[in-house]
Amino acid sequence: MQNPHAHPEADGARRLNAAAVWPWLTWLCGGALMLVLDRSLDLDLANLAMVLMLTSAIASLWWPGWASATASALAVIAFNWGFVPPRYTFAVDLHQHALLLLAMLAVNWIISGLMIRQRRLTDTARQWAEREARLRTWGDTLRDAADPAAHASALHAALQEAAQVPVAVAVLRGLGAQPEDPSTLQVGPVTDDQRAGLALCIRDGRTMGAGTGRYDELGDWYLPLRGRGVTLGAAVLMGMDRRSVGAALRPHLQALCDQMGSALHRSLIAAQEQQAREQSQLQATRNALLAAISHDYRTPLATIMGAASALHDQADRLDQDQRRRLAGGIVEEAERLSRLTDNTLQLARLDAPSVQLRCDWESAEEIVGAVLRRARRRPDGARIKAWIEPGLPLLWCDALLVSQLLDNLLDDALKYSPEGSVVELQVQRRDDQVCLGVCDRGPGIAPAWQERVFEVFQRGDDACRSASVEASRQGAGVGLAVCRAIARAHGGELRLRPRTHGGCRFDCLLPMRELQGALPEDGPP
Amino acid sequence: MSERILLVEDDRELRATLREALTVEGYAVQATASLADARALLLHAPPDAAPDLVLLDLGLPDGDGEELLAGLRRQKGTPVIVISAREAEGQKIRLLDGGADDYLVKPFGIGELLARMRVALRHRGRHSQPAVLSYQQGALDIDLATRRVRRHGQDVHLTPTEFKLLARLLRQTGQVVTHRQLLADVWGAEHTGQTHYLRLYMGQLRAKLEDDSAEPQYLLTEPGVGYRLADAPGEA
Repeated sequence: MQNPHAHPEADGARRLNAAAVWPWLTWLCGGALMLVLDRSLDLDLANLAMVLMLTSAIASLWWPGWASATASALAVIAFNWGFVPPRYTFAVDLHQHALLLLAMLAVNWIISGLMIRQRRLTDTARQWAEREARLRTWGDTLRDAADPAAHASALHAALQEAAQVPVAVAVLRGLGAQPEDPSTLQVGPVTDDQRAGLALCIRDGRTMGAGTGRYDELGDWYLPLRGRGVTLGAAVLMGMDRRSVGAALRPHLQALCDQMGSALHRSLIAAQEQQAREQSQLQATRNALLAAISHDYRTPLATIMGAASALHDQADRLDQDQRRRLAGGIVEEAERLSRLTDNTLQLARLDAPSVQLRCDWESAEEIVGAVLRRARRRPDGARIKAWIEPGLPLLWCDALLVSQLLDNLLDDALKYSPEGSVVELQVQRRDDQVCLGVCDRGPGIAPAWQERVFEVFQRGDDACRSASVEASRQGAGVGLAVCRAIARAHGGELRLRPRTHGGCRFDCLLPMRELQGALPEDGPP
Repeated sequence: MSERILLVEDDRELRATLREALTVEGYAVQATASLADARALLLHAPPDAAPDLVLLDLGLPDGDGEELLAGLRRQKGTPVIVISAREAEGQKIRLLDGGADDYLVKPFGIGELLARMRVALRHRGRHSQPAVLSYQQGALDIDLATRRVRRHGQDVHLTPTEFKLLARLLRQTGQVVTHRQLLADVWGAEHTGQTHYLRLYMGQLRAKLEDDSAEPQYLLTEPGVGYRLADAPGEA
């Protein structure tokens, strides 16, 4: 593939050698045979003439017409000189000998002519077969290609092999793309004129150049890569005006180009379809998300609205305790809304392809400390028991995200476990990871839901996970989805496991990294 | 005489609510909705009626509250508490480093705001006052002058670096000190990127001063921002 010119030329040279050597050899053998036959067996003239005709016929297998004709004529003259009496003169004594010589010459010429014609037919047939084969392989190559544009260089090679001239190919990368776009793929070097020619050819979608009827004065051929109703590229074959093959080859080259064109078209249409499908899927997900968000927002809003309007409208009929309870409900639900907003925003942020974490060396103890400080403020916060393995290394993580993750897990655990039961928060080393685990003694999660709880806005069925109907309405919605997204953004994972004596355990596994650099000197205490 | 508060907040509802809540607490509240009004008020206030504390929202109709912050700190040393809906940690740190006394993200509870205000007012004009040199809360008793630290009446021995770190936090008791400020003041300006120093020394300090270092009562962490020496043990 490195040099497409090399092989055809080498083949040609070898063919030339065979064509040059074999006829000479044939004539040599034929002459020798006639001499031998003449001297040893003393055959008559007609038999020797047969040998001559045979030799001439065989030699015309290789030689072109004029060479065969000349050789036959010379051979007949030599025969006359060497065998026809009177020998060693060009004179012919008998009329019958003259007739024999003339007939020999005529038959030789006819045989040569037939031979050569036959040879030409075979050549044409072989060329057709080669083109057929090339088209077929090319079709196969394109059919298997996910991105036919990547095969521009294969087309380049195929055209070069078929036409035996320098070739350049330009391929558009989109259905609406322009030839001047920088994304246009180009294989093979071109001059500025040729580049302009390619662009024109793509725009027109018609063949142009020497002998095509359009821009005949050009030395090159420009062939469009046509799809259905569009042109998605073009090829330039340079110096075709100096080539004799001409018109016969063009349909073949055009067929190669058009195959490429329709393959490109097909793949672009498929890509467009795929994009449209993804777009509609995205839209569906977004709609589901919005529906779920508005549902999750409405519940706390309803409580706030109810309590606030009661305080507003019935203030004078409510006693101190009732007022305080209503106000407390407002505060609690507002906090829930705030958390929900944080989670939703975080999820959207982590979903973005280029999410940037604000990682630093963090101490698990400090993160847990900050999370506990918040959790203890909850009315049931005293149920949490924390344990941190001593001597843990520092974690390379985004402290805010990891505390948000723990906030959510603790929130869920407190919500779904019965009053008075212990919720445990444990941090420990597990092989080359640090495991932040939150366990509760709630009803657990049904096996069917163990993966789905991590999906956005899925919530375990009332029957599956909730001590009471009340609790089931308080799901975090995005909560666990955010937790998993946070763990994964850190190169870690969030897993759910049932516990042996009831309840479940969420493990957030974060990778450990080696801390480089020593501490500066410090004095004694 | 009640302390004067300048409230710069463009949301009408929040402005009214805060003004009412603060007035109930005995503060004299002046409320404005724009940067220009706030500037005019600060400029024309007679020296004896200058605000003692500014509550500053960031996204104002005529500009960013951050612009006011720099001028306020430079000229008068008036404490500023930023209240903002923007929860960008980078900005939080920048504002704290740039002179804000505290940063509250909306939504916040009034109790939290009042606590932060009390701390900020206590530190008001701290540059002109003698430095705070001691801390007595719960079981802890720290005296910077004699370099003595006691817990439950027992002497605690700190390394020089631990002591410097504790002293730096003590100077701003109740307020968040950013990682950057701590690193610059304790280790030097060239070490402001080495947060892991802080993690390790804070860990050591907690081990020596706290009953349960997983649930500190004195040396509190503000994840992603800095540390705070608690005003009262166990406070939020």
